[in-house]
Amino acid sequence: MTSLYLLIPLGVAVVFGAIAAFISAVFDGQFEHLDEQAKKLPDDER
Amino acid sequence: MTDRDWTVYDRAELRQGFASSRAGDCEVTVALDGMHCAACAARAEKAVTGAARDVRVNVATRSLRFRYDPATTLLSALLAALDRVGLEPRLLAAPDAGDRSRQIRRLSLARIGVATICAMQVMMLAWPSYFGIDSGPDIGPLLRGAQLALSVPGVLWAGWPFLSAAWRSLRDRQLDMNVPVALALLAAFIASAVRAGLGSGELYFDTATMFVWFLLIGRYLEGRSREKASEHLRLLASRRALTAQRRVGPAIETIAIDALAIGDVVIVAPGETLPADGRLIETAAELDESLLSGESRPVVHAIGDTVLAGSLNLGASALALVVERLGGDTVLAQIAGLLDNAGHAKPRVQRIADRIAGHFVAAVLLLAATGAGIALVEGAGAGGEKAFAIALAVLVASCPCALSLAVPVTLAAGTSRLAKQGLLVADAGALTALAGVDTVLFDKTGTLTRNELRLRRVISLDGSDCERAMDIAAAIERGSRHPIASAFATWATAVLAQDIRQIAGAGIDALIDGRRWWLGAPDAAPQPFKLPADAALQPDDTVIVLCDAASAVALFIIATRVRDEAAEVIRELDRRGLQLELLSGDGAVAVGALAGRLGIDRHAARQTPADKLAHLQALQAKGRRVLAVGDGLNDAPLLAAADVSAAMPNGAALTQSRADLLLIGDTLRLLPLAFDVARTTRLRIHENLGWALGYNLLVLPLAMTGHLAPWLAAAGMSLSSLLVVVNALRSECRSVSAFPAPPTRPVSE
Repeated sequence: MTSLYLLIPLGVAVVFGAIAAFISAVFDGQFEHLDEQAKKLPDDER
Repeated sequence: MTDRDWTVYDRAELRQGFASSRAGDCEVTVALDGMHCAACAARAEKAVTGAARDVRVNVATRSLRFRYDPATTLLSALLAALDRVGLEPRLLAAPDAGDRSRQIRRLSLARIGVATICAMQVMMLAWPSYFGIDSGPDIGPLLRGAQLALSVPGVLWAGWPFLSAAWRSLRDRQLDMNVPVALALLAAFIASAVRAGLGSGELYFDTATMFVWFLLIGRYLEGRSREKASEHLRLLASRRALTAQRRVGPAIETIAIDALAIGDVVIVAPGETLPADGRLIETAAELDESLLSGESRPVVHAIGDTVLAGSLNLGASALALVVERLGGDTVLAQIAGLLDNAGHAKPRVQRIADRIAGHFVAAVLLLAATGAGIALVEGAGAGGEKAFAIALAVLVASCPCALSLAVPVTLAAGTSRLAKQGLLVADAGALTALAGVDTVLFDKTGTLTRNELRLRRVISLDGSDCERAMDIAAAIERGSRHPIASAFATWATAVLAQDIRQIAGAGIDALIDGRRWWLGAPDAAPQPFKLPADAALQPDDTVIVLCDAASAVALFIIATRVRDEAAEVIRELDRRGLQLELLSGDGAVAVGALAGRLGIDRHAARQTPADKLAHLQALQAKGRRVLAVGDGLNDAPLLAAADVSAAMPNGAALTQSRADLLLIGDTLRLLPLAFDVARTTRLRIHENLGWALGYNLLVLPLAMTGHLAPWLAAAGMSLSSLLVVVNALRSECRSVSAFPAPPTRPVSE
């Protein structure tokens, strides 16, 4: 049970990290033109 | 590679037309018409990388977006580099609206994501309390604190749109649906925060975060449907040309669009956008007018035709045109303006719904207070907890979100569906009015018949020269906008008419070389004449007479062409149970023949504008709701008086026409569809309003008597809103399969 003293705050911190990562991904345009990367794929083999 | 001069784009005064500034940098979007594959995309990226930052290629829309510093980098060098590798760059107008809506979309997506994460985590942390497990004095405060920490972004940041909207509405002394929402959110959050601090009492963090999440999803869907409606506008805006190639003598110079003047000769290279409305000279043209008219096939124009800004030159050679209208006067700008207005105007039915929602909110606040009060009195000391739960449930359950969504979402879906086909709804309220229309009045010339008229024969009545008669008639008609004038437009004459007076419904009067001439319909001719036996009139022919002060001089026989789609449209409208009438200023023979051919039973000939108006008012007095269809200029009084008006705009007359529906595709084909969409839209609005009101009335008693837990109320309310949005979009979805939208060339991201 004592591990919960560490794990709960840690869990909350991880969630905040996830939130920050998600927001930065949204504003980087990662969720727009979702088919764009697929079209670029053949080019990477060159 | 082309030998274009790109340096014009380096001029600072031009920059605001195509670049949006970002912290000293300029961001531009370039259409790359020569980009066809992934390899081209890589070439494009390579061509500008180094001098430009944040380079993004979009293969789907064939566009490239990048940022550059105007102080150190010349845009012309970047464009020339793209041109050198064969990508045919074309600078697009500043994606102002697109940019803003992109930011809004990203922000709302971010809020939804945060609300989702927080709602899930808060529920996980709350689960011991769901099962009545006491987490004890050590872990308990930790769990409560963690819930509080996660609710701050989950309720306050993600729910900020609702909180700020409620504050704005209270400041304006109005009650809208955001008020009970914000009240419920804040009450749940603050009460829970206090209890978390005290370490006792029930927490509502899970309810609050879940409520925000549900609300945001409904809002996101609503936003997407509205955005779809404004997409057309964005495409139109991106078609604005920024520069023009002006021909001065033998030389061609590139100038900013602002420097262009009426009468200039501009050259439009293949693949370029026309910078202004103008008259085509030297060569015929093949144009893509899909954004202006919805017509997806290339349109061929002959020399002398007026061509429109925003069209794309699809031909293999450059075009030359004489500028006739510029900037805000162009049809492109007018259409954009109308669309913009239509997006902002609040139709009557929407205002009514808003008012109902306002009263509803006041009632809800009262009921929440009453329910809480009763529970408090009944439960005496221990009732505090229950009273709070009841007040919260009432606030959440009765939020009239669905009610305020019902009308706007449905109307937006309907208008965007029609706009895609080439029918503009200038006033969204007209869509609901159209659903109630039972009578359609048609004008003849320019509406049921085509606008271009062909002069078939000239007959001299007094033995004088036919060419001289043509000269005079052409001179008189030169300034006229009546469809008849188009029959004379190709006749070049040096004769000059002065003191031209239009006599409505009769003819035109003018002074040429000191003599007075009159040109108009035979019935109104000031001099008597006899139709020659060999005139060989066809049923669709229009006859006009030229008279001087003494006698009738010449007869002009003008062939009109009935629109190809007219008969089918009439049949379709008839099938929809509409009463159709034809009113025309032309003679009885021509009108009767046309009506017979199209199958219109009721028709009237020789109608002056005043006659038409009187007829319309008589119909309205009998309780009929009338749609008037005209060419927008000659029928202005009729269109203004009708319940709903539809116009076939002939270019310049677009904004003067003041019609509710604009058939910018210059075809009647969309009229039956307009009726279908209008009736579907009205049905959906009724369904949505009925559902929204019914749902709220059903759950209110449950919430007030404490049979509805706050979290359940939140779920129900959100599902109700979702149902309304989905119902509105349902017709939108079906339209995709039943009426495929014309493919438009991708121009901007």
